[in-house]
Amino acid sequence: MIRLDALSVDFDERFQLHDVDWTIQPGQHWLVTGANGSGKSALAAVLAGDGDHLSGTLSGVPDRVALVSYERQAELIAAERRKDDADILDVISEGTPVAEIIEDGCEDLELAQTLVDTLGLRSLMGRSFRKLSTGETRKVMLIRALTSRADLLVLDEPFDGLDHDSLTWLQGHLSELAGTTPMVIVLNRFDECPDFITHVAYVDDGHLSLCVERADEQAYAELYQLLHLKTSDLEIPAADPAAQLPALDPEVPLVRLTGATVRYSENLVFEGLDWTIEPNQSWQLSGPNGSGKTCLLQLITGDHPQCYVNDINVFGYQRGTGESIWEIKQFIGYVSTALQWEYTVSTGLRNVIISGFYDSIGLYTKSSDTEKAIADEWLALLGMSDRADEPFNRLSYGDQRLVLIARAMVKHPPLLILDEPCLGLDDMNRQLVLALVERICRGSETTVLYVNHREQDRVRGIDNHLALTGHTGN
Amino acid sequence: MANYFNTLPLRAQLAELGKCRFMGLDEFSDGVEALRGKKMVVIGCGAQGLNQGLNLRDSGLDVSYALRDEAIAQQRQSWKNATENGFTVGTYEELLPTADVVLNLTPDKQHTNVVETIMPMMKHGACLSYSHGFNIVEEGMQIRDDITVIMVAPKCPGSEVRAEYVRGFGVPTLIAVHEDNDPNGEGLALAKAYAVGTGGHKAGVLMSSFIAEVKSDLMGEQTILCGMLQTGSLLCFDKMVEEGVDPAYASKLIQYGWETVTEALKYGGVTNMMDRLSNPAKIRAFELSEEMKDIMRPLYQKHQDDIMTGAFSSGMMADWADDDAKLLGWRADTAETAFEKTEAGDMEISEQEYFDNGILMVAMVKAGVELAFETMTAAGIIAESAYYESLHETPLIANTIARKKLYEMNATISDTAEYGCYLYNHACVPLLADFMTGITAADIGRGLAVADTGVDNARLIEVNEAIRSHPVEAIGSVLRGHMADMKRIV
Repeated sequence: MIRLDALSVDFDERFQLHDVDWTIQPGQHWLVTGANGSGKSALAAVLAGDGDHLSGTLSGVPDRVALVSYERQAELIAAERRKDDADILDVISEGTPVAEIIEDGCEDLELAQTLVDTLGLRSLMGRSFRKLSTGETRKVMLIRALTSRADLLVLDEPFDGLDHDSLTWLQGHLSELAGTTPMVIVLNRFDECPDFITHVAYVDDGHLSLCVERADEQAYAELYQLLHLKTSDLEIPAADPAAQLPALDPEVPLVRLTGATVRYSENLVFEGLDWTIEPNQSWQLSGPNGSGKTCLLQLITGDHPQCYVNDINVFGYQRGTGESIWEIKQFIGYVSTALQWEYTVSTGLRNVIISGFYDSIGLYTKSSDTEKAIADEWLALLGMSDRADEPFNRLSYGDQRLVLIARAMVKHPPLLILDEPCLGLDDMNRQLVLALVERICRGSETTVLYVNHREQDRVRGIDNHLALTGHTGN
Repeated sequence: MANYFNTLPLRAQLAELGKCRFMGLDEFSDGVEALRGKKMVVIGCGAQGLNQGLNLRDSGLDVSYALRDEAIAQQRQSWKNATENGFTVGTYEELLPTADVVLNLTPDKQHTNVVETIMPMMKHGACLSYSHGFNIVEEGMQIRDDITVIMVAPKCPGSEVRAEYVRGFGVPTLIAVHEDNDPNGEGLALAKAYAVGTGGHKAGVLMSSFIAEVKSDLMGEQTILCGMLQTGSLLCFDKMVEEGVDPAYASKLIQYGWETVTEALKYGGVTNMMDRLSNPAKIRAFELSEEMKDIMRPLYQKHQDDIMTGAFSSGMMADWADDDAKLLGWRADTAETAFEKTEAGDMEISEQEYFDNGILMVAMVKAGVELAFETMTAAGIIAESAYYESLHETPLIANTIARKKLYEMNATISDTAEYGCYLYNHACVPLLADFMTGITAADIGRGLAVADTGVDNARLIEVNEAIRSHPVEAIGSVLRGHMADMKRIV
């Protein structure tokens, strides 16, 4: 029996688990779940000996624990890199071959060979480990864990990045192992939960906040609900009736670029681009890094200085004819990673959302009761009602993104620009963001310009698509 | 050219020195209207020139850049800055004859040359804008009668001017109209519109005069702002080393100490800075500062007198004529000082420790702020100006020392400030030599080693009363109140 008694654990002062009471009885298999940054991976890693114990006790952990996780994967890759860096002789280091990595600590060579074939790694056995893709290294990590004859298997997101056949095989294999080896599996998607799982642990903000038996159908369903938050009854708070934006002529395009060109010295980003966005005509914009997506958006928002030397008409304003950027920005809601980086103020969440009424980073004017009430509705929608005054810069990355989307939408702008809004978010937050975006697309008043890296990640309700290919050469 | 200030009767001198008023937001309700459709041409595309231009254009104004022929022909950095940001760039001859407003954003030293070159090209009734009044007040530059002359001076580096605007805010800004050159009575309207165009009105605007700006600005930067911090850095460092304090620690305590203690000054004046000390330390700092004030008072008075008579500026202009021989020599000397050459250690120093172990530094800031303020107001400068040019700006300068010591401070401030800073330092270091012999590591470096932090009630009350009742504290609490209304709510 593994027991955690009031255990608090510190991970490099970056993260802490608090006061965890947890018992894993023989014969149990646990699923650990929770949102991004909740501490679910940390809890699993504690079983493998990670972290510094601050208080409490941990007992009953078997000697041989195998852990597969992104952190361990990163450590192994870093170790391989260091070997390379340590090379002071003038020879080209090939790094450790995959076969050697697999054999290191392997207790069941026969099984290892089967796994290599099943997971399609046979042709890579002679290749240097550090030349593998992320998905391939993951498979190597799995093989090492499964052939180590561990007394406890801790698998953090084991199904991530596996193709369909490998996934089916692995699930079958784990089911067989379940008879002899206890398992703790970390997942943030319930629908991948293997059948042999007997218990679910829900981690929230560094606390083990719920333990549920799989057999308890109602509790299990509630946890499922919790994870999917309130996506089903999303209601978008209304705009502030006291702050009406100037009316736009429905016959005039929101955006019209004619022959748009951006160039720095000799470096051409794009040229001769024509693009019109009509009201209620949502668009998806995609293209690889460096293809000029952000430049293009900045021409529209007025954040790119070369907007003054291009033929650009936005919301009826021909750029460079005496309009101010604040007249343009009042019609736009905007979310991007860059905005998140620039939004370094320590103000509370409510104020961050209210700042969307003023298109400012930080809030520089006293807000009305209506504005505060609307901001609080958004916080309720995001499940953050009790955090209205928490400093924005202490939020997790995903939570910051959700708050910034609320900030962008708070005034119900005619044009909402979402520049890679799901970048860096976990499944639960992605679902929430995407549900929010789809809802906004369905509404008639806001036109959405959705920007993402990958063309195939389509959003329902967005029918128009512009792909930037990017220049090669100069 | 004659010193303009000296040509005025005493009555007019006092009236001009007495101008400084914190303006209300409601005075800017016309926005940028006074400048709408007017052609604004910037001379100088450095940090101030470029960033002010970006803001003005984003506020809907027509901005272009006039550069010297060779800067355009050789595609120098100023040409690149302006062109890559999508501005129209042209020669003086191309742009100035049609300009409605010319923004002179070149360094002080170039003003006479630049203004003499551009004035004949400017059209009748145009406006010339400065960001510092030295050329008009000290050099006595005469501007054609038909031209309106204004000053708009954001009180922050150019990069901040831009960054705050993009966030939807601005930086505190000083505006003024040169009374002798306001033929159409439109100077104030233009200056206000310009301040709105850069976003300054959101952070607070001071309505001042060319004379008040120059005479208070010179005094502040030479004494408390730069001079006192330089002298203090050198004396405190040498004393600590002499007392056996680890030089790396001493270097760090000073480099970041000014920033930390003046942060307390920014929030709550001298009172709050002193309140950060324990009671015995506060009494000690008070006594040290009283002693230093008596020693340094004649020096502050000499600086103010030389600024008022024009002796300072004529001395500096003589150095300009000598290819900055003195300035460059002093700059090189500073780089060779022990403080400058000793790298700050990587030990942890907590925020409170900077106060506890920096009693002398706190005393120096207090003495410098109070003396500068007292001397300025005694010379006829209004308390508001004296506050801004002493207490208010000290934390801004202290921040530069935290970045890269005295080198960074002297690189960031104007050449005029740097010259004045060295003048002060050369007089002040020997002046305090005798005083420094009575200083030990308890005052700087290690802190008071008292087992009992008890103090005499009567003495504490006396000291607190003296700190709180100083005139800089009275005006400070009023002005900080205004600023808080304007300030970000973040």
